[in-house]
Parts: sequence; C-alpha cells; structure tokens
Amino acid sequence: MKQIIDKWGKSIGIYLFLMILFPFVMPDEYYRSVGIIIGLQAIVTIGLCLVMGLAGQISLGQASFWGIGAYTSAVLTTKYGLPPFVGLIAAAVVPGLFAFILGRAIAGLQGYYLAMATLAFGYIVQIGITEWESVTGGANGMISIPQMTFFGGSELSMYFLIWGVVTCVLLFSLNLLNSRVGRAFRAIHKSEIAATSMGIDVRKFKLNAFVVSGMFAGISGGLYAHYMGILDPQPFGLHESIKFLTMVVIGGMTSIWGALIGTILIGFISEGLILLGEVVPGLQGDVDTIVFGAILVLIIMFMPEGLVPRIRAAFEKGQAKKAKAMADDAQRKQQVERKAAT
Amino acid sequence: MTELLQYVANGLVSGGIYAIVAVGFITIYNVSKVINLAQGEFLMLGGMVTVALIGMNLPYGLAALLAILLVTLIGVLMQKYVIAYVKKANPISLIILTIGISTLIRGIASFIWGKDAFALEPITSNEPISIGGVMIAQQSIWILAAVLIILFLLWYLMDKTILGKKINACSVNPMAARLMGISPTKMSMLAFAISGATGAIAGIVIAPLSVTSYDIGVLLGIKGFSAAILGGLGNPLGAAVAAFLLGIVESLGAGYISSGMKDAIAFLVLIGMLLIKPSGIFGERSVGKGGL
Repeated sequence: MKQIIDKWGKSIGIYLFLMILFPFVMPDEYYRSVGIIIGLQAIVTIGLCLVMGLAGQISLGQASFWGIGAYTSAVLTTKYGLPPFVGLIAAAVVPGLFAFILGRAIAGLQGYYLAMATLAFGYIVQIGITEWESVTGGANGMISIPQMTFFGGSELSMYFLIWGVVTCVLLFSLNLLNSRVGRAFRAIHKSEIAATSMGIDVRKFKLNAFVVSGMFAGISGGLYAHYMGILDPQPFGLHESIKFLTMVVIGGMTSIWGALIGTILIGFISEGLILLGEVVPGLQGDVDTIVFGAILVLIIMFMPEGLVPRIRAAFEKGQAKKAKAMADDAQRKQQVERKAAT
Repeated sequence: MTELLQYVANGLVSGGIYAIVAVGFITIYNVSKVINLAQGEFLMLGGMVTVALIGMNLPYGLAALLAILLVTLIGVLMQKYVIAYVKKANPISLIILTIGISTLIRGIASFIWGKDAFALEPITSNEPISIGGVMIAQQSIWILAAVLIILFLLWYLMDKTILGKKINACSVNPMAARLMGISPTKMSMLAFAISGATGAIAGIVIAPLSVTSYDIGVLLGIKGFSAAILGGLGNPLGAAVAAFLLGIVESLGAGYISSGMKDAIAFLVLIGMLLIKPSGIFGERSVGKGGL
C-alpha cells in the first residue's frame, strides 16, 4: 500500500479531489446519475484492463458478466427476498464462477479464437437471459428490484457508494500491478515464452485475471440492478461490450488509469452526442456506434498505446528535456568557471 | 420424415450463406493473416445498398451489380488505407481494428438507412416449390445456386489459375513470394476484393428470404467464422462443409428444441469445438495459429 502511495500518491490525490468535487459542481440530479453510470462502467473497464493490458488477452463478452451479475442480484433479492447486500456478494461470485469455467476452458486459446469464444459466450448469455423467462422475465425484463438503502438511498449517497467501490477496485488493481503478480503479468504481456521459462504459470495467471475481471463486472452489474430498479436483457449485448472495449483502448490498454480516464472520456462523449442529437434533428440511428468504431480504428492506427501512456510519455520527455537543459546549463557554468580560474 | 427433410433443407440454405462468409474469412486470412471481423458487414452492405439503389428506381440487375462493385471497392480501400497501415500490429490490435471497422460500418448504415428492416423482391416469384412434400422457396434455390457457383469459381481460381498460385504463394511464404516478383500487398488487396464481392453477392441473395437491416452482419459474421474454425482455419473446403453442417444442426435445433435458442446452439457448437479440438474437424491448413 505504501508503495502505491509513493508511486501514485499525486494521481490518487487528484482523482479523489475531482471525484468528491464532481457531484457538488454538478448539482443537477441528471448529471449525478451520469456520474453513477460512469462509475459502474469504470468498475467493469478496470477489470477488462487487467485482462487486456496485463494478461494480453481479449474479451469481447465483458457485458455478459455484467449482465450475469445484474440478474443474479436482481433475482435473489426480488424473487427470494434476500437483502441487496447478499445479492451483491452473489453478484460477484456467480460471474466469477462463470468466468472461471469459461476461462479454464479457453485458457489455451489465443488471439482470434479467444475473441470469438468470448463473443459467442456474450451472445449465449444474452440469449439465455432472454429465453429463461420464468426466472429473468425474458425480453420484458424485471421490475421493482429493491433499491439500496445506503444513507437514505438518495442520488448523492448512491454516487458516493459506487465511486467508493471504484476507488477500492482501483487501489486493488494498482496494488496488483505493483506486486509480483503485476510483474508476472507484464512479463506475460511482453513474451509468454520468456515468462514461462522464468517459471511463471502463464495459464494460471491468465485465468486469475479473467476471473477477477468477471467478478468486477459482476459487482458492477449487481450495483446497476439495484440502482436502476428495473432490468431488461438489452444493455448486456455486443454494443455494450464494444463500448467497454473502446473505453479501455482509448485510455490505453496497459494502464489502469487509462481505463478509468477512458471510461470518463467515453461517458462525456456519449452525453455530448445525446445533447447533439437534441440540437440536430436529422441524427438518427446509433451515432455513438459510429463514434466508437471510428475511435477504435483511429486509436489502433495512430496511437496504439492509448491516450494515457502517450501523455505520460510526452510529460516524461518534457521533464527529461528540462532536466537535460538544467544539466547542460550547470555544465556550461562549470566550464565558464574553470576557464575563469585558469 | 417430411419435417426432418424440411429442417435439413432450411439448414442447407443458411449453411450455404455461412459457407460464403467462412470462405471469405479464409481467403483474407490465408493471404494476410488477418481475420476480418467486418466480413459480416459486407453481406449487410450488399443487401442494403441494393435495396437503396432499387429505391432510386434503378433496375434490379443494375442495382445488384453496382452494390457488388461498391462493396468490393470498400473492401479494397479498407485493406489499402487501414489494414496495410498497421501491418506490424499484434493480433489483439488487429482484432480491435477490424471490430472497430465493423462497428463503424454498422453505425454509418444505421445512420443512413435507420433501424428499420427492408425487404428485397425475390429474383423469381414468391411461390414455394414442393419437392416430395418439402416446401422450398424459389429464392432458396437461387441462394444455393449462387453459393455453389461462388464456391466453384473460388476453387477454380485458387487451384487452377496462375493468379491463384500467386495468392497461395503469398500465404505460404510472403518473403519468398516477393522474391519471385509477386506483390503480397496486391494479393492482399485482391483477397479483400474477393471477400467483398462474394460477401455482397451472398447479402443480395439472402435479402429476399430474410429481411435485411443494418445489424444482420454481426450474427452472419460470427456464424461464418464459427464455420471457418469448425472446418479448420485456413482450409476453405473444410470450412464450406462445416458451414453446411452448422446450418443443418442449427435448423434441427431450432425445429426440435426451441427457435429462440437457434443462435445459442450455433455458438455452443463453436465453444464445444474450441474446447475439444481447436484445430477444427478437418485440421488447420495454414501455419500461424489464431494469428499468434
């Protein structure tokens, strides 16, 4: 923990400051709810970032774990009357189990096979939710899911609950990144063969990353269900999975901060597009789909490492330049002094 | 018995479409080691552009021809300006890139044509023909005919012509091919053109049978890819056979189990196959594994 504060103390400080400030700068209930949704998405994308950036895998079905979590908690609390807290624990465990089974099955797969297997899994889950009408309510969905009664259950308290979870997930992931596990992951990402020969159990690490990402998505899904109060299978499909993918890719696959910043950025872009849709009457269809697709293509073409690592590199380059200029200055001064002495 | 035959007949028709998509995937994969996840969008564009052009009072044949040319052009441009640009990217980036292209095309389609489904007139009349009690739409026969002609032409091109030998040379060893004066870049472009054209034709012939809309490409793409994996990635003949099998299994599942689960059945087959034998029924033919 101490190491994290040493390394990222400044970033964490800025993050906490902005996070706490946001709902008070935007006192409008609508923007608070936007903030809540962005927080929920951030929990998923930080998990996805562990899978993509660290383990070097890809998941095109992340929204399915989100959906499994949401429906697990919703069904347990609505049909069986369990408290939301228990539902949330189940919402982490059940998608984790699914991720374990799927991850175990596909641990040997790579590249395109993995992409397709997770994509297919996403479809199966969405179809399963739609078809299992007796439990999930089918395409009509579920209503009157109990709300969370966290400090009165107002929009503001929900905001802090969810961003509290985001903070925990963020710190957990940063800690992971800075530990032996994180170094092992980076080794896998660079070269699996080299990592294996160094004694890293690549399969196990990949599986762990996959399970953790499934659990994060599940927790977020459970919170989503209790926040919304209603559920239908529509948001748990490919569109959402691609949105998560875009968020991770734009921020930078290899950076946890990138996932967070990418999520916030895409959240704002989505809101901007909604506003634009109100101003420009001719906008029909999925304008956001066009934007996400374009972002994915442009980022991979021109900035494959993503925004955050790029900015950090530019910043460090600037620092280095400054340091070099100072060093040069000092050297010149020394030379001048030496000349004066002789 | 008639019921069973009916399901098999339906399965053959959808299987034929999957076969075209699968062969399109493999044509590109063999030459450039890229899995073009936007393959399904070629089908969608073929159908939608034809509908749009007919809406502008162009005759059926001309509209279809223009649509095929346009989609072919899109395929070539995609290769030239996007895929070729990131040649050295790792497989994950390439997956994200082609997913991005497919998302972009889908978004633009929904922007231009909206989210409604469109129907295209069948090539000949709507009356189904009865063969031994099995009802077959006339359009189905057109589909099967188109599929078989395309598969035959592709086989002829790849196995019997110099051009096909050049394409094969690039897939076996691009460096050696280049030394022999064959340009892998050009062959890649050709592969995208072939995939675009065959995809567009498939999209046009299925449009009258199942309505066409901006989002049909995703499912068709995934199922075609499933077939390509089932048959063994890189093996066109295996992929075509696997595609027909997939179509039949899916149709039987929809008929006897539940029509809502139709798509899930195809994907369960895919995941099962990946677990048991990732190299496919007929074995992987090309070298690289899943692009890695």
